[in-house]
Amino acid sequence: MKINISRQNIYLLSLSIFLLLFVLVFSFSVLIPKGKEYRVQRTALHKDTVEFRRYEEFANSTLDKLKELQSENAHIITAFDKPFNPDRFQKQHSPYFTSLKLSQKKPLADEDEFSVYEVNTTSSINSPKSFYDFLDALNKGDWIIGINFPINFKRDHELISSSFTMRVYNTKKISAE
Amino acid sequence: MKYSYIRPRKKSILTSELQLLFSFFSITILMLFLTYFFLVFKDYRFEQNTNEIIEKKANLEIEIQQMKKQITFIEKEVLLAERITTKNTILKDSISNLFDLVPQRITLSQAKLLKNGLILYGITPNKDVYNFMLQAPLRSIFHRTYSSFFPTENGWLRFVSTNYIDEDEMSLKASNEDKKHQEEQVDED
Repeated sequence: MKINISRQNIYLLSLSIFLLLFVLVFSFSVLIPKGKEYRVQRTALHKDTVEFRRYEEFANSTLDKLKELQSENAHIITAFDKPFNPDRFQKQHSPYFTSLKLSQKKPLADEDEFSVYEVNTTSSINSPKSFYDFLDALNKGDWIIGINFPINFKRDHELISSSFTMRVYNTKKISAE
Repeated sequence: MKYSYIRPRKKSILTSELQLLFSFFSITILMLFLTYFFLVFKDYRFEQNTNEIIEKKANLEIEIQQMKKQITFIEKEVLLAERITTKNTILKDSISNLFDLVPQRITLSQAKLLKNGLILYGITPNKDVYNFMLQAPLRSIFHRTYSSFFPTENGWLRFVSTNYIDEDEMSLKASNEDKKHQEEQVDED
């Protein structure tokens, strides 16, 4: 039996086979590996995104904590940042004393991240209660100040003359300015 | 001279079968290439996004570190401020207690508050009043108490009372109390 296939059909068939082979080879050697790479990269990106979101959430919670701390302790933070002003101090606390004199501030050794100044004070008070009120006012004042020993009270007619040292605490960046 | 009654058809290379074949394969190949370019583009975008995320993550990490530093610093500030406030309040109470301690019959002329002691100058009608009403409570507070007297013109006595707290004993006491407290806790457990 003789199969009679025209030349044109043979060309057609061979072209079809060639194109089919091209499609297959292209798909298996280029497209499928690229697709696999795409899937791997998509998974990696998803992982990175999830991790990044976790980071973002942690950063947000840290920022919230920081803001809360800053708002809760705004007075303390401002007090540490404020440079000591002897004139203003005298003006603020003179109601508790009959007379109040401050010496020049003297720098002491730093405590951790804080610089410390010492100010000697001589004053006259009517009664010890004035001194107690002064100590209460100091705790609510514009600066962080600790009263230090020695404290000296001496009777001076109707008044009590007192002398004591105060330690003013500032953050280092403020004292550097 | 004509050999056929019909007109000859024009022969073209692109036969209808070939056109069909080409259109089919061109669509297929176009789709394949489009898919390929889509994947290449997506890979490029993924790479870009990954780099962006890495950069943002690094920035976030720096921000978090800075915020943590700020938090630690604020906590230190709060602790120090509380320590100083407490110290001032304790000082106020100590001075108040000291003045409450002095009986009405004794007049103080000077009081020196030291870090580990107290020096009092004053006038007392006699030694007994001083010993019972001032020295006794002072002895219960301080470890070492010294007194000296000088007679005045009106028969009263001028006194100087020097009182010290031994810091070594204080620290020893504190450590003993800590030990006791720890032992109690262990017993409770």
